[in-house]
Amino acid sequence: MAHLEARPLRVLLAKLGMDTHTVGVTVIAHALREAGMEVIFTGLKQTPAMVAAAAIQEDVDVVGISTLSAGHTRSLPELARLLREAGAGEKLLLAGGVIPEEDVPLLKEAGVDRIFTMGADTRDIVAYLNEWWAEQQAHSA
Amino acid sequence: MDVAAGVLAGTVLAGARAIRWLDDRDPRGAEVLAAVYAHTGQAQVIGITGPPGAGKSTLLNALVAEQRRRGRRVGVIAIDPSSPFTGGAILGDRVRMARHSVDPDVFIRSIGTRGHAGGLSRSAHDACLILDAMGYDIIFVETVGVGQDEIDIVSLAHTTLIVGVPGLGDEVQAVKAGLLETGDLFVINKADREGYEATQRQFELMLHLRAEAAAADAVAWVPPLLRAVATREEGVAEIVDATDEHAHALRADGEFARRSARRERAQALTLAMDAVQRELYEQADPSILAALEARQLDPYAAAELLLANWRQE
Repeated sequence: MAHLEARPLRVLLAKLGMDTHTVGVTVIAHALREAGMEVIFTGLKQTPAMVAAAAIQEDVDVVGISTLSAGHTRSLPELARLLREAGAGEKLLLAGGVIPEEDVPLLKEAGVDRIFTMGADTRDIVAYLNEWWAEQQAHSA
Repeated sequence: MDVAAGVLAGTVLAGARAIRWLDDRDPRGAEVLAAVYAHTGQAQVIGITGPPGAGKSTLLNALVAEQRRRGRRVGVIAIDPSSPFTGGAILGDRVRMARHSVDPDVFIRSIGTRGHAGGLSRSAHDACLILDAMGYDIIFVETVGVGQDEIDIVSLAHTTLIVGVPGLGDEVQAVKAGLLETGDLFVINKADREGYEATQRQFELMLHLRAEAAAADAVAWVPPLLRAVATREEGVAEIVDATDEHAHALRADGEFARRSARRERAQALTLAMDAVQRELYEQADPSILAALEARQLDPYAAAELLLANWRQE
């Protein structure tokens, strides 16, 4: 009965931008589910405002964004700003997909906590999240 | 953040956090509930259930739009199954409701079943109370795709809407037993599909049988059978007319309050049973279980002893 007390990590996965490539985000969703996390998938062609609203209503711990169609240098900082302004700046903001190395400093400066570029191993993402969650739990205990 | 005050003020951030605490069984959730409970009991809870693939989410999306056209504030609780093995879940009902995500008068929450059978989650009732306290007029609860007897939704909702669909084979299977006897509204979705007439006839027959069985009780509400093509929003206004009529009929003779009361009673008893179950597990005397395994005690005698021990504690 111990599992009744478990507190699963809640992760919102969304795609910003106009592309319709869902393979990457689907693979990650399944990996997170297998790791015991609750994944809320919001679908394609999301705007930063839609993602921020969903993240708050769902009270997720983590917001993971897949972006493959450029525009991320504008949309990701906007999302980070919207979350902060709504009082939800403590959520972990992750991004993955096609993100050139030279954009990374700008995105981190804007509030993206971690960026997984093409070819990132899902096991690394799971491990990173588990570690972060354990830290958060220890912090609040 | 004072979460209870935020819930009563209708603050999304506070409401979302309260539901999280209740879903996680964080003791702070019960504190919030205690502070807001007296302010609940206003919202109409509408359950939507039916077999997987009936188009529940798409229909729900259209129903939310129609409720918004009528000026109501709408809460949505969408339940998807958690993996019994890992506890993880992929909650995807928002995908079909994306158009409502930036509407400040719509609150959508996805919840995993987290080991709860019956088509709902343990926290579905709590989430309804929080949305009710936040001032939403209508609360939709979408269950997981159900089989034949997952009818928890009936005890949670004021109005239960059962969605069928042509072409799933023996459609009757999906709505027989408990669902058929207790649904308040029946909708055949995807009504532009082949097989609609056959499905309609089956539903009509079932409803006819139900009406005959109920005639003696002089039940005032006759469950309507409606058709819809949710992807084109066909039939949706008629469904909302019917759920409005149902709410009106329930309120007119005091049944609305009686259904709410029944739900709160069931919830309190469920919480008490959960606690008893946990205590029984934790206090189970290993020697009794060992005697059971050695066939010195039969299961009934062992159960009596376990209960006697628990009562003593």
